[in-house]
Amino acid sequence: MAQILKVMVRKGINALITIFGIICLNYALLRLMPGDPALSLTPRDPKYQGLAEYNRQLFGFDKPPWEQFVIYLQRTVTLDWGISYRLGLPVFDVLMRDLGWTLLLVGTSTVATIIIGMIIGSIAAQKRGKPFDILSTATGIFLYGMPIFWLGYLLLAVFEKGSIVGHYFTWWPALPSQGYYDDMLGPWSWDGAHLTSAAQHLFLPALTLTLGTLAGISLVMRSSLIDVMTEDFVTTAKAKGLSDSQVLRRHILPSGLPPMVALIALDIAFVIGGAYQVEVVFNYYGIGWETIQAIDNLDFPLLQFIVVVGGVAIVLANLVSDFILLLLDPRIKVT
Amino acid sequence: MGATEAVVRPGAISPFQASLRVALRRLQVVWVRIRHSRTAMVGLAILIFFIAMAVFAPWLAPYGPIDRVADTSNCVPSVSCPLSPPSAQHPLGISEEGADIYSQVIWGSQISLIVGIFAAMVASVLGTAVGLVSGYLGGWVDEVMMRFNDVVLSVPWLVLMIVVAARIGTIDLLGLILVIGLTGWSITARVIRAQVLSVKERLFVERARMIGSSRSHILLRHIFPNAFPLIFANTILTVAVSILSEAVLAFLGLSIYNTVSWGKVINQAIGGGALVIGGNVWWLVVPGLCLVFLVFGFYLFGFALDEILNPRLRRR
Repeated sequence: MAQILKVMVRKGINALITIFGIICLNYALLRLMPGDPALSLTPRDPKYQGLAEYNRQLFGFDKPPWEQFVIYLQRTVTLDWGISYRLGLPVFDVLMRDLGWTLLLVGTSTVATIIIGMIIGSIAAQKRGKPFDILSTATGIFLYGMPIFWLGYLLLAVFEKGSIVGHYFTWWPALPSQGYYDDMLGPWSWDGAHLTSAAQHLFLPALTLTLGTLAGISLVMRSSLIDVMTEDFVTTAKAKGLSDSQVLRRHILPSGLPPMVALIALDIAFVIGGAYQVEVVFNYYGIGWETIQAIDNLDFPLLQFIVVVGGVAIVLANLVSDFILLLLDPRIKVT
Repeated sequence: MGATEAVVRPGAISPFQASLRVALRRLQVVWVRIRHSRTAMVGLAILIFFIAMAVFAPWLAPYGPIDRVADTSNCVPSVSCPLSPPSAQHPLGISEEGADIYSQVIWGSQISLIVGIFAAMVASVLGTAVGLVSGYLGGWVDEVMMRFNDVVLSVPWLVLMIVVAARIGTIDLLGLILVIGLTGWSITARVIRAQVLSVKERLFVERARMIGSSRSHILLRHIFPNAFPLIFANTILTVAVSILSEAVLAFLGLSIYNTVSWGKVINQAIGGGALVIGGNVWWLVVPGLCLVFLVFGFYLFGFALDEILNPRLRRR
């Protein structure tokens, strides 16, 4: 146990170093490029004239680089990230609000992806070479190569309120495709009407993201299980006369699962990238949608910390999966 | 250096040439296996189809990528107006700006392939260099490089690309390739590093070290050739990812201004009301299908190669 703790502490320190690295990289991104950063932090519009001066003060652009870096670090750590031009609100508050909705979307589809992907992957592994395997693998690779935004538009074309299909068949479900929940309901509260509406609005974005990332899980689950199935201890277990499901549950899954946990963590960066596209397609106002708005409006204060927020989220997800991995698979402790 | 050269017989080749020869011989063996893999051959056929489309685009496409074939002054209703539906003359219809969509789709294959292949090469060279050096040297070099790798891997790639592209402002072909290549090397680096770690413990590397070979000699002549097939397969998979990255950037509006790519056509299709009832659905569907099939081809070929080249799987 002491050894596990030691590894965990080391992983924790590594995660902190990585977060620090992300913060530094973000600093470099903004400063190393040509042009006056104070000016590029300000939209080219006369009504924002005072802002360049304000930003120069806030981030100390008139001071030497090392002092600027210290000021930047202080601002980052104290969450004093400046004001979004577009919204006139503190950047931190805006990002935290958006992050909540993005996490809801990413979380829902990740859980769905993991469950469905693992089931499909393990059935395919058991029926290796049979029609189910060939069909699911081919469909998987096909979906894997599909641009998520395009998939989103196709689903939109089929299921949206007033969609082409719904135009001809009145019984066809018409799902909302805009926002978090129905605006007619007024501000958010935890009642049935709001929750139902939020779930309806979540359905299409989450379905798109799930379909787009499903194959990553199911294909690796399949190959990971096939790897284990050819090990000697599986043959032994079969020779002992255990049933197929017993072999699967007691022998194959325990050693086939750890690589999956590592993969799911790596996948999170990919899922967040996908969530960006989905949010834009469905006008789901999360971090991704906010990023595009920030670019269109040259809202640089917001833009510069979106990188930090996204990076930290991924590092934390990786850290959690590392811990789960440690508890699941004792062999990893040594390395 | 002088002392070693003295004992080398005349006509001998440099270590780099030698490692290249070893790599080529391995590729030959691999080609035989590829011909026997149905997955790889299907993937290859798809790739050849799209490469031919890109190479022969000037002859295949009736119009240039941004030629205006119709505007409101010369428009014949229902055949050649902006936003016309598909017709015999314009099989996929006409875009809002008056371009022939069929021609745009054919020209689009060029950008997807060029950006995909070159960005993947940038990513592969970088990733391979980092993976080789950090895996072989180990110690603090490895530690520093892997921490940096973690940083690049953790920053959401899409955000990074958007921020870099937005800061550059206008984007050209080289800029697009660099943005995608420079943000896409970290997974390659991890894969290569893992391979190097396993190759470096093999007996022949041990022997080379025993007889006093230098580090660069071992790296170039023994480790690189052994990692080469994996690098090759990985590059092909990276091409698929880079093509998708280009499409996503174009869809978000970050594309080269004086030409078209499939992502850009999709972007314009959405703007031109392809999803509205009575809109031109093919405008959205065809470029998307091209993207899907091209990426599918690279994945099929890449995964099949991976299975052929990965010794752990080959033993079955």
